[in-house]
Amino acid sequence: MTHGDQISPGSKPADPSAELRGGFTRREVFRFAAAGTAVFAGVSSLAACGPGGTASTSASSAASARPKRGGVLRVGMTSGGSEDTLDALVWATNIDGLRVFQLYDSLTALDKNAQPQLSLAEEMTPNSDASEWTVRLRSGVTFHNGKPLTVDDVIYTYQLIANPKKPLTGSVLLAPVDVANIKKLDSLTLRIPCHAPYASFYESQACYQFFIVPVGYDSANPVGTGPFKYQSFTPGQQSTFVRNENYWRPGLPYVDSLVITDYADETSQINGLVSGQLDLIGALSGDSIPAVQSGGGNVLVENGGAFAPFTMRLDQPPFDDIRVRQAMRLVVDRQEMLQLVFGGHGLIGNDLFAPFDPSYNHSLPQRHADIEQARSLLKQAGHEKLTVSLTTADLAAGSIKAAQVFAQQASAAGMTVNLQQVPVSTLYGPNYLKWTFAQDVWTYYPYLPNAREALIKGAVFNECHVDYAPYTKLFNEVNATVDPSRRRALIHEMQQLEYEGSASGYIIPYFVPSIDGYSNRVHGLTSSKTSNPLGGFDLANVWLD
Amino acid sequence: MSPLARLLTGRLVLGVITLAVVSVLIFLATEVLPGNAAYAVLGHNASPAEVHSLEIQLHLNRGILAQYGSWVSGLLSGNLGTSIANSSPVWGLVAPRLVNSAVLAITAGVIGSVIAVLLGVLVAARKDSRLDDAVSSLALAITALPEFVVAIALVILLSTVVWHILPGVSVLPPGTYAWSEPRLLVLPVAALVIIIVPYIFRMTRAAMIEALDSDFCEMARLKGVPPRRLLLVHALPNALPPIIQVIALTFLYLAGGIVIVENAFAYPGIGQGLVNAVSARDIPVIQFIVLALAAFYVVVNIVADVTVLLLSPHRRVAR
Repeated sequence: MTHGDQISPGSKPADPSAELRGGFTRREVFRFAAAGTAVFAGVSSLAACGPGGTASTSASSAASARPKRGGVLRVGMTSGGSEDTLDALVWATNIDGLRVFQLYDSLTALDKNAQPQLSLAEEMTPNSDASEWTVRLRSGVTFHNGKPLTVDDVIYTYQLIANPKKPLTGSVLLAPVDVANIKKLDSLTLRIPCHAPYASFYESQACYQFFIVPVGYDSANPVGTGPFKYQSFTPGQQSTFVRNENYWRPGLPYVDSLVITDYADETSQINGLVSGQLDLIGALSGDSIPAVQSGGGNVLVENGGAFAPFTMRLDQPPFDDIRVRQAMRLVVDRQEMLQLVFGGHGLIGNDLFAPFDPSYNHSLPQRHADIEQARSLLKQAGHEKLTVSLTTADLAAGSIKAAQVFAQQASAAGMTVNLQQVPVSTLYGPNYLKWTFAQDVWTYYPYLPNAREALIKGAVFNECHVDYAPYTKLFNEVNATVDPSRRRALIHEMQQLEYEGSASGYIIPYFVPSIDGYSNRVHGLTSSKTSNPLGGFDLANVWLD
Repeated sequence: MSPLARLLTGRLVLGVITLAVVSVLIFLATEVLPGNAAYAVLGHNASPAEVHSLEIQLHLNRGILAQYGSWVSGLLSGNLGTSIANSSPVWGLVAPRLVNSAVLAITAGVIGSVIAVLLGVLVAARKDSRLDDAVSSLALAITALPEFVVAIALVILLSTVVWHILPGVSVLPPGTYAWSEPRLLVLPVAALVIIIVPYIFRMTRAAMIEALDSDFCEMARLKGVPPRRLLLVHALPNALPPIIQVIALTFLYLAGGIVIVENAFAYPGIGQGLVNAVSARDIPVIQFIVLALAAFYVVVNIVADVTVLLLSPHRRVAR
């Protein structure tokens, strides 16, 4: 049985050019680079065989070897602290995500190409206007405590998320669902009515906020259906999970146990890897690549779809003038920014998110720096010598550097960008979503869930204060449309509006690459476009020598 | 009252007042930090409604005075409270870290003091020799190095680049203590020893040279006291008070200075605990750790004063 069963809405392969630039190629490059170094180091002892031959054998033998069972996989990750949690529904950081992904599954999940696929659901079918969904669960799935998965668990999970007294993060994407009136057809089949048509329900369930927990769930006893079972956990320090013998994906996971340790910074992460105390580290910055490689480790660069936008408020001067917003986008030399911030890793952005969504509008021309045009737009808007203040913080790898590069590039158009650097906790503090011109970081979501959270009037993270009726109208229309080609046409129109700047205050110059380091013992780590580190948090497929 | 008893009572009273003032200052300082525990716990994926509901649950919507009041009354009844970040008892969270830090600081402090004093005495006896020049210059050079440079240099040398002999990070599995994995202690202890030795060494050398230059040593020398006896029996005891002061200062430094070394080695001590607590805005934990450090300062100061008093006969008697 494979997990690739398809259903109607959206599962076309992603943009072929993105495919070409994808992480796997990168990974091959790094493997070769590492192998090459080894060959040069040991050139005398290997004099008999040609260096090329040696390099390719070591790379290909690693790729083709049969996965082995057993062993303890030791992973080191930053971003944690005493607020670490194993709660499936309220996790917040990278290290939380890494842990939660091992313990739980959701109805649908993004695959390595960032396409939503069925996971705990075996079938999800909308009615003709997507106002009602029929969901059939995979049979034979059990929770870690032996309880079989049934529709009651799904209903219970949704009730937890949508609890009006204590709404959880997922409540936003679950808002169109009429949780109170979900009907059980049998122990594995549900009929889910919606307050409003919700054609993107399928992909929304892959957005990391809908891990299914058993009835009566208590996060102190974190029981899920995932590849690993909880054994011990100390927030801010370490968790130990063991293999789930009854995992529903046959043969997985490979390792017997999984120890995830909190690291305060990248340097100690790398020291841990290089001195052999760790097998796998994630969420590194580009600057760490040489350190990992020179210490004998391997590097995997994953070109995911996480975006780190500059956010302009549409309701505040000077950005309430669309010409200013257009000028701001035109001053960015994206290739140069990527080069300076990530050493050339990562993908170029076109001021649009969700680049791997099957409906992504590839017909919009890639925006390039055009200082003349920017100057003339600013002049028309009466802002020839525009001075703006950009609130920046160390939100994600490269955020501050990107702000500095932006300020530099904008000065070519006669603009003065004053950087106001604040602690991350300030940017995300009480003023979050209120800054006039700031930065943010978003993990990869399919297009419609992302738009629902970011660009619709009243959206929970509408940091640009977008309120553009034609866009919202299209959004509502596409959510009542199940025909894939019609959906694509509507989404293209929506992205056209974002691209012009009427429905978006985002400048999206690049997508943040995710950089992992791993020891020679580690196999089966493959690149993911989801923007989650460590192959999209996929440790079930990792095996050890 | 004997001078000793008077000193002890005076210092203890002052110490308690100091701790009370410190506890107020910490509360005020945490007020200044941007955001609160609710933001820190939920991360930026949380909606404002979610943050608000957690603020109420954690009583963060109460005023700072009310929060301080309930903390003090809890403390007086022997209850340190629970962590805001993960709702486990503060004592259970902090105690293992206190133990680990104490092990690290005391091991490094003792080893460093012994090495430094021996080296100081040895060099003082050979003042202006080549050995003196070499050791003194080296010591001066090391005092110019920040802690993290020493730590990184050791890691590069002994665990990641040059030799792969020792673990490069000292992560202890939760629930275990530093002594169960002595290998993990080697590099952090070595780093701290390298950092503290120069200070104690320089003070020992200076104090010993001063003692050796004094009239009573000159007299002893003229009487024909053998050099070793002169050094250890005549000069050293007279040089001890400043040495003890500097050793006490070193331990005080260690209470704060291990933060950086702990961080460099990811060692699960009080420093890492404090950094975690601050970034989570976990006021009860911050409060307890800082108070524990302040109490340590008070106690070490008292111990040093008492020791110096006991070593100085002319100050021991009531005047």
